[in-house]
Amino acid sequence: MSAQTAQMPGLDRIRTRFVELLQSRKTSIALHALGAWDGKTAKEISTNLEQARAILHQIAGTAGTVGYPLLGEAAQQCEIQIIAYLEGPHAGLANCPPEIIGRINAFVEACNIVASNG
Amino acid sequence: MFLVCFSPHSPTLKVVLSTLFSVVFRTQENSFQSRWSNENEDPIILELLAQFLQAVGQHELTTADSAHDAIALLDRPDAPHFDCFLLDIQMPGMDGMELSRHIRSQPLYSAAPIIMLTAMSEKRYIDGAFAAGATDYVTKPFDLTELRTRISMAEQLVLGRRPHSGIAFCTSSLLQRSNASDHIDLHAPILLHDIDNVFACTAMENYVAQLSRNALFGSTVFAFALRKPDHYWKSLSGAEFKFLIEDVAEAISDCLSGHQFLMTYAGNGTYVCITESGWRPDIPQLTDAINLHLSRANIMSNCGEELHPRMSAGIAIRLVWKSGDEILNALGRTQTSAEAAAIEYERLKTDFFHVGRSA
Repeated sequence: MSAQTAQMPGLDRIRTRFVELLQSRKTSIALHALGAWDGKTAKEISTNLEQARAILHQIAGTAGTVGYPLLGEAAQQCEIQIIAYLEGPHAGLANCPPEIIGRINAFVEACNIVASNG
Repeated sequence: MFLVCFSPHSPTLKVVLSTLFSVVFRTQENSFQSRWSNENEDPIILELLAQFLQAVGQHELTTADSAHDAIALLDRPDAPHFDCFLLDIQMPGMDGMELSRHIRSQPLYSAAPIIMLTAMSEKRYIDGAFAAGATDYVTKPFDLTELRTRISMAEQLVLGRRPHSGIAFCTSSLLQRSNASDHIDLHAPILLHDIDNVFACTAMENYVAQLSRNALFGSTVFAFALRKPDHYWKSLSGAEFKFLIEDVAEAISDCLSGHQFLMTYAGNGTYVCITESGWRPDIPQLTDAINLHLSRANIMSNCGEELHPRMSAGIAIRLVWKSGDEILNALGRTQTSAEAAAIEYERLKTDFFHVGRSA
């Protein structure tokens, strides 16, 4: 976080709101990951992953600026992996890659740490 | 996604101009309203930007929830004039690149700064954004100091104070010496529309700067220069000269089609091109192809006189292992070398070596 970011008036309020919002976002991502993992059809899997990706995209875009760069990078890595799957040759299969679920699981853990540290 | 607009001569903010805008808009009769508008589905980033823009200046924000909403906003009869657009690439429905193309298709916004503010840092997105008409590209999570610099550049573009940078790429000293010719300056970059992969000179500088930041160096830069550009500039009207520049740009674009490239017109009859994906052009062969294309094009002036524009090429420089100013300097070197090649070609046409008869 640059000096200007740190000094920007109102940033503390935005950071607090980010952490608050992270709780519901984390839950949504986890639910979509579970939905993808339990999905019976390719469409069900890809829909859940796409919805998780959209939330991860938002977190990746702001976490670093409000002071959580590692969380932002973790979100971006999840997003990249999901995009690679959705645009790859296996997207039509009803088989959710465990690597994606594992990475999302690690991201949710990171969210929990951020939330507990405030 | 974000939009920015400045509405001049509105009295509402006359007395609350920030220091920044007092400086930037000193020549605007101290009567200026600035309005920024943005849209993004992420409330946090909207709050951040609103707070940031409040901190750097008195900007008015307008947001839209999607690209379609943004288009509807622009198409409204009572729509304010937006001077700058900040777009996210990934949006539901229409993406930011498609929206950028739509904005560029409107004459009112054909030259307005479009800044892509996105988490997508892959080269294909950067290429696509600039090809779609973006002026600049900022990757999230953004550094606010950097964002302030980019926005300041956009402001200067809007105010016409910065048609292009003062780096070697440009010829600012010559600009002052140029004569007016139907309001077209020989040495000024001209914004060309509706030609594949051609964008503004400033956007080219920002594009290569983006490459340097992302360490993506599989590119080659080279330039072509129109021979005797001053002759055409003096003998043609401003509009005719611009048409000629567009015709030549189309010829170059056609000859480069099939390859991944981006091009800009840098002024003085010079076109700077950058290719990617490791493709290294055969410059002499490419120059011949362009000149053949031009010879077949039968380019005419308004009075029916056939023009015979021909091009010379400069050196090609690979951008691998280059960074920062080295890349911008490479652009300048290719431009200068192409201009020198064009001058040399003309000189050799008349520079005969007189050899006396010998027994």
